[in-house]
Amino acid sequence: MSADKNTAEKLQEDPRAVPFFPDHFLKEVAVMALVLGIVTFLATLMPMPVGEPADPLATPAGIKPEWYFLTVFQILKYVPKALGIIWTFLIFPPFMMLFPLFYNSVICKWRYGRLTLHTIGALGIITAIFFTMLAYLGFE
Amino acid sequence: MSSGEGNIFRRAWNGFVDFFDERFDMRRVLREFADHEVPAHVNWLYCFGGITLLCLIVQVLTGILLAFYYEPTIDTAYDSILNIMDNVPFGVFLRSLHAWTANIMILMVILHMLRVFFHAAYRPPRELNWMTGVILFFITITFGFSGYLLPMNQLSFWATKVGSEIALEMPLIGTQIHAFLLGGEKISDATLTRFYAIHVVILPVTITILLGLHFLMVRKQGIADPL
Repeated sequence: MSADKNTAEKLQEDPRAVPFFPDHFLKEVAVMALVLGIVTFLATLMPMPVGEPADPLATPAGIKPEWYFLTVFQILKYVPKALGIIWTFLIFPPFMMLFPLFYNSVICKWRYGRLTLHTIGALGIITAIFFTMLAYLGFE
Repeated sequence: MSSGEGNIFRRAWNGFVDFFDERFDMRRVLREFADHEVPAHVNWLYCFGGITLLCLIVQVLTGILLAFYYEPTIDTAYDSILNIMDNVPFGVFLRSLHAWTANIMILMVILHMLRVFFHAAYRPPRELNWMTGVILFFITITFGFSGYLLPMNQLSFWATKVGSEIALEMPLIGTQIHAFLLGGEKISDATLTRFYAIHVVILPVTITILLGLHFLMVRKQGIADPL
């Protein structure tokens, strides 16, 4: 288990290891500068609109949550509500938390475990993008 | 200890560092941070976590400035946003930067998680760091949800109404969760105060503590080798 740790002693024996400072640090700073540039660009050229004041009596057409909720929002339209809620809030988060233990006891012992896992992961991404698109386009 | 060498600036700097070095062993701490090595396979994909931290820093700074002018009551929230947009110097920029960076931050968290997932970097001994990471993910999402209501415009009001009504569908305790979220039956001053407290007090404190743990664990265990 400790063999998996990349401790200072272990890395010192590896001639290919690179110093955090300045080598990796510079890489991080370059990417951070790029991201700062992008958000500054967006905030300057595409400022957030204030929108209409909230009116509890006038429901606007096509209410949508923020983009990162769209997958769940769309899937909840197709599955029984209670089932979807229980899955989203009670089953999925603990499963995600405990996933490393599951990986350790089941997946990595199986020959095709990683292949299956990566396939499920890729399908998950495709599903998420698909339902986000459906929600974005306003499918019922 | 030697502040006698070099020109006046060098000596002044050395004296300054010596002061802290003698008291807190600063040189050793900084050396430890600067000299540690990362494995050779570390590439650009390993930057998503760092970018998320950068986004958080931007959010804290712009968020504090916005909090100076924002008023969390039903009657004044929308007008205080108008004030920020119309009268506060750089108000448009600050609010837009806060909103855009929020989206980029969530995107970066997702990319960071996918990187860790596909490299299986959560395997022993790093399970606990994955678990703190999952909690940090949900905290980031909650930041987004709680912050969305604050401007009190049509979009935020109805998105929060629809979002909180999802809780009603929960069997047995749905009504209670809904009432707890909104501080009553419907969106009111209580809701806004509640969301504001969550957004600017509870979540920032929680995320800071968990991020500290997250980074300590990375430093202690190093970056995972690919399989």
